[in-house]
Amino acid sequence: MADIAFLLIIFFMLTSVYSSNFGLQYGLPKNEDPANVQPLESIHVQIHALGQYTVDRRPATLPQIAGYIDEKLRQNPKKPVIVQTNPDVPYYATIEVLDMCKQLKVENISIPTGSEMEMWRAFMGGIAP
Amino acid sequence: MIPTASMADIAFLLIIFFMLTTSFSPVRMSVDLAEATTWEEVEKTAAILAINPQGSIEVSDGIAPGTIINTMDELDIFVKEIVTVDPTRQFIIKADRNIRYEAFNGVYEILRRNECRRVALLTEAKLAAQP
Repeated sequence: MADIAFLLIIFFMLTSVYSSNFGLQYGLPKNEDPANVQPLESIHVQIHALGQYTVDRRPATLPQIAGYIDEKLRQNPKKPVIVQTNPDVPYYATIEVLDMCKQLKVENISIPTGSEMEMWRAFMGGIAP
Repeated sequence: MIPTASMADIAFLLIIFFMLTTSFSPVRMSVDLAEATTWEEVEKTAAILAINPQGSIEVSDGIAPGTIINTMDELDIFVKEIVTVDPTRQFIIKADRNIRYEAFNGVYEILRRNECRRVALLTEAKLAAQP
């Protein structure tokens, strides 16, 4: 009996390690006309193809971006952060930026879809925000 | 001498503990999750969309075993069916850390198009971080 019990314990210990139920929760906005969105009032973080970052068009490292966002949030705690990722970049790079935003307690994080970025470009006359 | 009389009792208590705390994911696709230092517990009944490094997608409504999706149209139908029944249902994206962002964007676009409101990006806890 005790042997079976220990086998069951080992089974549950091993399987529970592999079950992950944690993540970054994110509320999606309603689909709206990109003309109504004001990208210039937001902090715009871009992740480029070779893994470089820019914040409001200025090249920066992740800690520098964190410092920049923190400073802006002190002036306006509701300041939105737009995270735009190049399609070729590995997914974890986006998670790193989102994780940083969560650590800084950014209330308003926006992840535009590829088609939204295209619409934005068209609206801004070919210039990405 | 180590007293062994209570060993079986302890073993059964441990079994009960693990049986109550263990949760099995209906999606069997194996992915290497991205790490994050901040995280929140996701809903146990949320629909799951898993993307593996090859770009294959497996979906589950959170209860039924996962099924492999072959086209984005199939994914669109799956999401639409869930949102029609419960518009506030949470969707978990369980994506491999090394997939191209483009693969994530394809799934994300479908969730946005179907007016999903709540999404969780499944991550792994970075060691020595706050819960």
